Amino acid sequence: MQDETKNHGLSDYVDIRYLDPATARFSETPGGFVRLTIGEGETYPRVALYRAFPFSYPDQYISVRDMDGNEIGMIKDLRAFDEATVRLLERELERRYFTPVIRRIESVKEEFGYWYWTVETDAGPRRFTVREVQHNVVRLSPEHVLIIDLDGNRYEIPDTGQLDPRSRRYLEDLF
Amino acid sequence: MNLAARKAQDRIVEPELVRLETDLSRDGRYAGGAVVVTASSVRVLEQGRVVEEIPLAAVEKFEAREMVGGGVLEARVEGEDRLLARFTASHLPRYTAAASYLNKRLQGEEAVLDLPERAVCPTCGRPFPDPASRVCPHCLNKLRVLARMFGFIKPHLWLLVGSVALLLALAGVRLFVPQITRLMIEEVFESGTGDMRALARYVALLGGTQLLLQLLFVARGRVSVTLSGRLAKDLRGMVYQKLQAFSLLEFGQRKTGDLMNRVTGDTNRVQHFFQHHVAMAVTEGLTFLGITVILFAYNWRLAALVLVPAPIVTVLVGAVRRKIWSMYSAQWHTEDRVYSLLQDVLSGIRVVKAFGQEEREARRFIDISWEYARITSRNEKTFNTLFPFMGYLLGLGNFLVLYYGGHLVLGERMGFGELIQFSQYASMLYGPLRFISFFPRWFTEAMTAAERIFEVLDVEPAVKDRPKARRHTIKGEVVIENVTFGYKPHEPVLKGINLTVRPGETIGLVGHSGAGKSSLINLIARFYDPQEGRILIDGVDLRDIAQESFRSQIGVVLQETFLFSGTIYENIAYSKPDATPEEVIRAAKIANAHDFIIRFNDGYDTLVGERGQRLSGGERQRIAIARAILHDPKILILDEATASMDTETEYQIQQALARLIKNRTTFAIAHRLSTLRNADRLVVLDQGRIAEMGTHDELLAKQGIYYRLVMAQREMNQLAGVER
Repeated sequence: MQDETKNHGLSDYVDIRYLDPATARFSETPGGFVRLTIGEGETYPRVALYRAFPFSYPDQYISVRDMDGNEIGMIKDLRAFDEATVRLLERELERRYFTPVIRRIESVKEEFGYWYWTVETDAGPRRFTVREVQHNVVRLSPEHVLIIDLDGNRYEIPDTGQLDPRSRRYLEDLF
Repeated sequence: MNLAARKAQDRIVEPELVRLETDLSRDGRYAGGAVVVTASSVRVLEQGRVVEEIPLAAVEKFEAREMVGGGVLEARVEGEDRLLARFTASHLPRYTAAASYLNKRLQGEEAVLDLPERAVCPTCGRPFPDPASRVCPHCLNKLRVLARMFGFIKPHLWLLVGSVALLLALAGVRLFVPQITRLMIEEVFESGTGDMRALARYVALLGGTQLLLQLLFVARGRVSVTLSGRLAKDLRGMVYQKLQAFSLLEFGQRKTGDLMNRVTGDTNRVQHFFQHHVAMAVTEGLTFLGITVILFAYNWRLAALVLVPAPIVTVLVGAVRRKIWSMYSAQWHTEDRVYSLLQDVLSGIRVVKAFGQEEREARRFIDISWEYARITSRNEKTFNTLFPFMGYLLGLGNFLVLYYGGHLVLGERMGFGELIQFSQYASMLYGPLRFISFFPRWFTEAMTAAERIFEVLDVEPAVKDRPKARRHTIKGEVVIENVTFGYKPHEPVLKGINLTVRPGETIGLVGHSGAGKSSLINLIARFYDPQEGRILIDGVDLRDIAQESFRSQIGVVLQETFLFSGTIYENIAYSKPDATPEEVIRAAKIANAHDFIIRFNDGYDTLVGERGQRLSGGERQRIAIARAILHDPKILILDEATASMDTETEYQIQQALARLIKNRTTFAIAHRLSTLRNADRLVVLDQGRIAEMGTHDELLAKQGIYYRLVMAQREMNQLAGVER
């Protein structure tokens, strides 16, 4: 008897509550954030989204939390929701994980142990400085590169194969 | 400027309270913009256009939320959060500070805006490479730094003079050698009167000159080593001394690693530069100049010919060296990875074995060492190809000399001896070129390191003695008057603290973590100075007591007991190095440490610390208590360990502590209720303010914060089954 109650308690902790696209309704708040209503009556005036696997599964396993950081549930796959919801959630995710994709590397110049980059990203042109390239230019996979600059800004190259030869050469010189 | 923008401009006539630049638009594109707060409104501008405007009176709260790689500024208006602006991570510290400032103003509190500066060089706009330092390698006035550096060389002036003399001699002798060769050829072979004796004389002269040259090289090396060694020693000593004068505030703002780097790394860099590069630069430079002058004096046409390939060669050599450098840095990185993998696996070998992953780890290691081998062999091949060609390039000028010079000799417009001399000079000329292409980089690196050292030397410690500070023999009364303090000026962790402590009284400090207990203790020990209010010792302001005199009369037993590398004896006698063995034993006995120390094979001579005997937490703590007892402080600060100990050890420590605090004004951060019960008074801190004060029993009866803490702890103990 006691064992049973214990098991019940444990499963409460480890079970993942997936948000069902049929009952979970995300909507936009007047201030431009995200509101969540589950079924009838369970309403969260504002929620925050966290990716569990920002690099491996960016669109899956998204933790939905209230503003105190308590998990309400997880989105198993963003694509299961309707288009308008996906757009809303993607905008919120883009705000939390601002990581422009580098389209072209104009130049990488090394001076006194610091690397000055000039790049073209999908958010516009950008210059930034990286130090300790061996730690801050990270190969997430052989083709997927993440760059973290001096201030903690992030830049991503999802597939180095898509870059033009000149940009690729700049990267190769670093590795 | 379009109409909307002009309109926006016209309306901003009110003084701005806060102006925050941003580099990110609200839809996530890089674009210039700003958040402007005036006394009446909040405006968000994007590329000069107002995209949002809210009356300031409508805002309930601002919030700068940190995100990954950036953040957002929000405002709560009528209970609803509104997105004001976005910014990249580069602007986060400024937004956080501004939001906290604005919130204080909204609540009608006094607040000072203190926007952290962006770590960019004000001259060139480049970010400072090292955020902890304000040195921009670009805009650094290297000559000024060098001049200051020479100030440090002054005490070793005779070494410098000797070194310069040696360098001049070296360059002179080197330039003399081809001269001898020419004279030998002319006198011995071409004059027709030459004989064996003349030949022998010249060969001996050449041999002697070469020997002299080598001796001068040796002397040059020795003098530079001595000079740079002394310079580095001086610098290191000064930086270290300065660090000791720092208050904990300066330490808090910098990383320990960064400070260590300045004591060792930067001084090493300066030393290396003076040892290897300066002497070489002077010798090579003088040689280069000398040769050029001589060559032009002899035959300007030929000289010009020698110099024609020089610029090309310099550029090519520079390119080759850069290539080699980047090749090898890739190799070092891989080497790093090999080592860290090896270290990982070896230190985690238990886990590897427990999960049976030996094979996978072996494969991982083989993979990466294969990559390392591949890079190494590729680099060596490239190097072995490039290097001989580089030598060839450096000799190019010689071929031109031989051709044109030979032509002159054939036409009897030049002697054969002269040609040989010329050719020797020409090959000597290209040696310095190798060096010159890399000198600017070395120079900048060394001067940057030097400036970083000066930066530390120039810091004014925040906690310093007032001019009229004097010695004071402490009786033990402590009065804390209206003290406010924060590690950052705009975030106070202690607010308006008032407390009067009688001599010999024991005060227990209680509160949740982050309530301000440690901060209060830091102020009493004068590791920091309060921003407002003052602390009086026997009626004297703490800042009017000489630090050295004050510290010699307070004792600190910290949670993390730190034992220096050395013997137990040395550790106990740390505060009183001239203590007799008898005094040390007596202190250890009072601290209940004597018995366990005697049981060690080496007794009081047992080595502890980094490489010494491992001591248990209880043992370390008792040694620290013995240290404090020997020190015999008037004011005692205890930060009691949280680690749980067996009842016997606990009893021993409690007993030792009870002996220690007798007749001393004591401030104790206590985690265990058993200690608290013995305090004369308990002070309960909550969010930086004194919430409750009284004896254990009084506070329990009050059923306030203290009561709840006690109950929570009892519950915990019951849960853990260690009810005391």
